[in-house]
Amino acid sequence: MKAIEVEGLSRTFNSRRAVDDISFTVEAGEIFGFLGHNGAGKTTSIRMLTGQLRPTAGHARVAGCDVVTEQRRLKPLIGVVSENQNLYERMSARENLRFAARLYGTDTKQIDEALDQVGLLDRAGDNVQQYSNGMKQRLLIARSLLHHPQIIFLDEPTKGLDPIVGRDIRRLVQDLSREGITVFLTTHYMEEADQLCSRVAFISAGRIVALDTPDNLKVAHGEKSLQVRLNDGQRLNIPLDGQGSGEQIKQLVASGQIRTLHSAEATLEEVFIQMTGRKLSE
Amino acid sequence: MNMRVIGAFAQKDIVDAIRNRYLLGALVTPLFVAILLRVLLPGISTMNFTVVVHDPGNSRLSTELRAVPQMKVITAASAEVVANELEKAKAVGGLAIPGNFDADVATRKQPELVIYVNNKQNDFEQVMFRQLVERQFSAVMKEHLPARLTWIDVNKQADVPNSALNLNQMMLPLLLLLTFAMTGALVVPLLLVEEKEKRTLDFLLTSPASLGEIIAGKALTGVVYSFLIAGLLLALNSRLIGDWPLTLLTVLLGILFLVAVGLFMGSLFQNTMQVNTWAGLILFVLLAPSFPSFRLPEIVDRVLVFVPTHYFVEALRLASSETPSARIWGHLAVLLASTVIAFAAAIWGLRRQQN
Repeated sequence: MKAIEVEGLSRTFNSRRAVDDISFTVEAGEIFGFLGHNGAGKTTSIRMLTGQLRPTAGHARVAGCDVVTEQRRLKPLIGVVSENQNLYERMSARENLRFAARLYGTDTKQIDEALDQVGLLDRAGDNVQQYSNGMKQRLLIARSLLHHPQIIFLDEPTKGLDPIVGRDIRRLVQDLSREGITVFLTTHYMEEADQLCSRVAFISAGRIVALDTPDNLKVAHGEKSLQVRLNDGQRLNIPLDGQGSGEQIKQLVASGQIRTLHSAEATLEEVFIQMTGRKLSE
Repeated sequence: MNMRVIGAFAQKDIVDAIRNRYLLGALVTPLFVAILLRVLLPGISTMNFTVVVHDPGNSRLSTELRAVPQMKVITAASAEVVANELEKAKAVGGLAIPGNFDADVATRKQPELVIYVNNKQNDFEQVMFRQLVERQFSAVMKEHLPARLTWIDVNKQADVPNSALNLNQMMLPLLLLLTFAMTGALVVPLLLVEEKEKRTLDFLLTSPASLGEIIAGKALTGVVYSFLIAGLLLALNSRLIGDWPLTLLTVLLGILFLVAVGLFMGSLFQNTMQVNTWAGLILFVLLAPSFPSFRLPEIVDRVLVFVPTHYFVEALRLASSETPSARIWGHLAVLLASTVIAFAAAIWGLRRQQN
């Protein structure tokens, strides 16, 4: 079953094409990575898919609802975690969730359950302005899950967080996927996308330039090689291109000079650079 | 429109406005100004008055009035010409004192003292003149009702119920308008702009709340606060209200208009700094019709007719009479039309940004 179906979606601001004729589908329960530089069109795409922005052309269905004509039906089925920690800072965590619960018509008894899920129950009465970035991020996730959405959009959920909080959030994302929630994820961290996503799409200048599983992308676009460290400390990188590499390896093994030998695959980041010409963090 | 959602917005913003010191300051400013005016205005005695007096008997009252530093006294040849002399001398008031005034007061005959008030002079001068005469009269005579005071308005305009004008009555439209302007045209746009600035509007737009419900929630917050403070001001000045239903209708339309203006401002501006930069000018224009007329050039009066709050002030003044003129309905119709236009403009502004 398709959770998200996008066909020929475009959005133009004045004469600039922010999103240019993108098409893809996301399966229910999948963690789908949407990767691109700043200004590549990720946020514009999310805003169109979540009903915040009207497409200039094309169609999209999210949770079976047309994003333009069926917004009333769509919105209770999705949760959105924005990269701008858009919480009401003069309110406590519990008050933030109570307000969200009233908007969604959710039972307020579930607030404590949601806070507990993200480990904030003991700080529920504190004003959000006293929270760290990691706590705010966890509260955003709690707010997006409060009404039990089918699909959750996570825009840079681990940006600027320390590694431990980032790891906790990645675990939470994996848990959501196990519970059958579809996750649409944008991130600057390639390792995170590689670790979490079943498929990733690279978007550059508003267009999708690649879409596949991380493994397939690495195999299809990366360069396989052997990394060899010799006894004298010298390091060699031998491409496995079949042009004499077998003979070279055989000679090295016979010489007994090899201290370590590893196979080396291309990373997702290298594939991204190859496809778009720039590093993701640039 | 989902009332649960609108109620959720209003409840959040009503509490949030109190927690925000800046917004709280804006909300209590009209009350602070009301208290300040009560304390300060009775003490204002720096104005100069030109007064026409006919006093053939050289009464003590006339002598005492001449001794008041602010009074420039012009002597009229007869009681009949006092009213005419007011116009010529551009005097704010006149007194026609009977020839045997002091003797009649002494024998408790309660002589009639006719006091003319020139309605062509500005409201504030008229009020101060009335207060000064009454104060002098009671100070000189020191007796309970020694004379019958007859106040006559000269150059009175039709439908303007200023024969019983006093300071509070003059200040009530200003204070109410200040309340609505601070709440509607300052607090409401700040609430809306803060949602944009902090990006919480993005969350709202992905929630089941529609744009109309978001606007209605903000509007409800403005209306609730405006009504609370206006209710307090009206209760404190209840004796000034003539026709309560019409006064309340006028107040409601005034609140809705200024809340709509606030929503429109909130839809146009992107951050708090923009609101603060423009709000001063906008508030000045909106409040201008309620300022006491200090001999403003005629052109200013003509321009003020194009400010919708002019019709609020006029309607409120008419409603202060127990039998308001039918002209009030014209004023209320203009106010209603202005409110509808401002609401439509606010929705247009927000939709334009969304798309």
